[in-house]
Amino acid sequence: MFYTIIEQVVNGIVSGSVYAIVAVGMTMIFGVLRAINFAHGEYYMLGTFGAWFAIEYFDLPYPVAIVIGVVATAVIAVVVGNIVMQRIVGAPAEAGVLATLGVALILQNTVILVFGGSYKFFSGGYIEPVTLFGFTLAEQRILIIIVGLIVFIGLELMVTYSRIGKAMRAVSQNIECCAVVGIDVRHVALWTFILGAGLAALSGVLTAPVNVSVYGGMGELITFKTLPIIIMGGLGNVRGTFVAAMILGIAESLVATYVGLQFRDTVGFATLMLVLMWRPHGLFSAQARF
Amino acid sequence: MTEIVRDQTVTAAEHKVATGPDLRVPFGLGLAALACVAPLFLGNYPLHAIIIALIFLLPAHGLNLLLGYTGLLSLAQAAFFGIGAYASALLAVHFGTPFYVNFLAAGLITGAIALPLGIPALRLRSTSFVMCTLGFVIIGQAIAKNWISLTRGDMGLAAVPRPYFALGPASFTVSGTVGFYYLVLVIAALATLAVYLIVRSPAGRNMIAIRENETLAESVGIPTWHYKLVVFMISAIFAGLGGSLYAHYLTVVSPLTFQMYYSTTMLIIVLGGGAGTISGVIFGSLLFVGLTEALRVAPELRMIAYGFFLLALVFYFPNGFAPLIGRFWSFLERRK
Amino acid sequence: MSGLPILDISGLCKSYGAVRAVDGIDLHVNRGEICGLIGPNGSGKSTFFDCVTGLAKPSAGAVKLDGQDITGWSLNDIAREGRMLRSFQKTVVFSALDIEENLVIAGQMFTFPGIWSTFGIGAAARNRVAALRERARELIQIAGLWDVRFQPAGKLSGGQQKLIQFASMLMPEPKLILLDEPMAGINPKLIERVVDSIRLANTSFGVSFLIIEHNIDVVTSLCKRVVVLDQGRKLAEGTPDEIVQNQAVREAYLGG
Repeated sequence: MFYTIIEQVVNGIVSGSVYAIVAVGMTMIFGVLRAINFAHGEYYMLGTFGAWFAIEYFDLPYPVAIVIGVVATAVIAVVVGNIVMQRIVGAPAEAGVLATLGVALILQNTVILVFGGSYKFFSGGYIEPVTLFGFTLAEQRILIIIVGLIVFIGLELMVTYSRIGKAMRAVSQNIECCAVVGIDVRHVALWTFILGAGLAALSGVLTAPVNVSVYGGMGELITFKTLPIIIMGGLGNVRGTFVAAMILGIAESLVATYVGLQFRDTVGFATLMLVLMWRPHGLFSAQARF
Repeated sequence: MTEIVRDQTVTAAEHKVATGPDLRVPFGLGLAALACVAPLFLGNYPLHAIIIALIFLLPAHGLNLLLGYTGLLSLAQAAFFGIGAYASALLAVHFGTPFYVNFLAAGLITGAIALPLGIPALRLRSTSFVMCTLGFVIIGQAIAKNWISLTRGDMGLAAVPRPYFALGPASFTVSGTVGFYYLVLVIAALATLAVYLIVRSPAGRNMIAIRENETLAESVGIPTWHYKLVVFMISAIFAGLGGSLYAHYLTVVSPLTFQMYYSTTMLIIVLGGGAGTISGVIFGSLLFVGLTEALRVAPELRMIAYGFFLLALVFYFPNGFAPLIGRFWSFLERRK
Repeated sequence: MSGLPILDISGLCKSYGAVRAVDGIDLHVNRGEICGLIGPNGSGKSTFFDCVTGLAKPSAGAVKLDGQDITGWSLNDIAREGRMLRSFQKTVVFSALDIEENLVIAGQMFTFPGIWSTFGIGAAARNRVAALRERARELIQIAGLWDVRFQPAGKLSGGQQKLIQFASMLMPEPKLILLDEPMAGINPKLIERVVDSIRLANTSFGVSFLIIEHNIDVVTSLCKRVVVLDQGRKLAEGTPDEIVQNQAVREAYLGG
């Protein structure tokens, strides 16, 4: 009994890391663009498809497939960023919602149109089980947790020390001031967006061996799971987002085991609505950005 | 908000008086007459398309009151559409009640559900409010899927009867496409009239005031909180009534009725036609069905087209396509 | 006319955490009076206004309007039931609507007090709206905005928007108007026009005023009594001449 709980918590931390990697990108995009990116899960899907394509058609090894998936997504993000996301800077919130909904529809259905809507088998990855502290885990899950940690630390270092990172932080705090002191807001917005999309893709490629199946509609589910996380985390707050992602990952895993698998995908929004009734601004302050 | 939704009704009406005869009245009457005789020259298929457009017109009218007039972006229309569809279908299947009972009950039930949902949701800021309304759709779908004893889960409710009316001993079933077309046409016309009356009343002006500036509206004595709640309920009721019609027309209801797709559809209709105008929404729903039918080849292509459509609306036609028609009118009037 | 003050505020406090923005202010406005409220920046004038008009909830104290306790009422209740209206420091209008619509909306909730009555349909409701329109047109003419009445209010100049805002507040036949820096950011020629409108509203419509204003000439010419705030407290009260002579007031302004 106790063992199962611990095992479920560990599983929850794995899926929490997956959500965290996707959600930090989304929350940073919100911080800079002041827009909810409804297409964010689609970049997760694109990354997975890129890697699947590289493995299926070119027989490339998994690590190369990871790079291809992420790079391909980043290239698409450059295009979308230039055509759509840069124009959202300074637009009303509703414009952002509608434009990114449009992007989501386009990306998702283009992939379905090209590759078909059926489930595909993802064959790459490290699925050998290893035993650690008495728990048996697939190697891939350990990799996910490690990458999650690296991403978190890397982002913290980036926004504290690098030029572009500091600019991102500045824009998210006060957009008018940045324009005055000569920070190119559109440039920063574009790079934040590409970074966010790349992280989502990375998360997708890392999760694919665990989920095994790949399909065109998978992005939507991820978007719907990430949305409650970034709201609970306090929109634009990276640390809060990490905590919220972990909470949701663990909660989902416990609900799936003790309540019923079919309720797993509703946990996020159900928690969100309870949280919002209690604290209308999310669990963490939106002021403490990045 | 005010950036993407501009009101054309209020000031334009005043100018019309000055610029001579209004072409919109004869045009509207002509369109109404055309709608009445449409089954004479339209085949079953186009008629089916128009029925769908008229059914979607109801939730779209509701969303227009909320988004176009009061300035609140909500993605919850699909949730209330689904609740209305299920309420109506459950009543019809379990109790065999006549259509008008199901229809009115669907409206009442959705309104009654919208009230407790709206009270916490409307306290939230813009982005959180949008998310909360999206949550209603997701949770609604989960309930429809998992409350199997009531909704039969993923199997859905089949064999929802076609609308039948019973008055004393006489009863009458609307079975064919033509019959259903007239039923929907009458209901859509009544709904449009209701929206027209609301919008033209002092309350409609107060709604516009809230959209333009909530604090200022508050400072001239408008109880904005109550207004938003009532409009949220009215918009839900419209969606519920639409859902009821949808259930009785397709004769099946499944958890797929609770889909983001329907919320997106309503947004496309309202923003495509021009939020904050009644004619715009009517135009939008016809345009939407036209678009759907033109892209019947592959559902994916259709969704891709919707995506580009949304982008075009945001970046190139922030007032929807209806102003283009307005420009066409003034062009005609100048030619006379 | 009774001798009771129209607005009677006692011991009003507002604290944000440890900061006491408003710290026990007593203030009254007599019927038919134009009362001035001055003080250096950050002295709590605007917070005081927000607490009196219901935009913020006071932490302690009582606000009485025409003998009725309105402490803790919401902004819309105070406007509608109490007929006490306020302006905002940053001028706001319903920018997409024309001037007449702006004024009709401002008057509406007083002819249709309940939420359901505003859905009112039929001849009676139409007549009421027609009467509102009539009054709106009169006020537009008085304000000298007749030529631009069909333009969206947002397209007009800042000064014109001020006049719209002022005319809007006269729509419901108010008892008391609170103005938050009515002269900020408008040119000297327009200042005279606004001063005249305030005086006109005071003498012909019998409206009492409480005015926050930095322009001391305006205060001296309009007000018979001035209250000075500093650091959330009432520092002095008296005729404009007494205030100008007051040593403590001078120090507060120079020090602040």
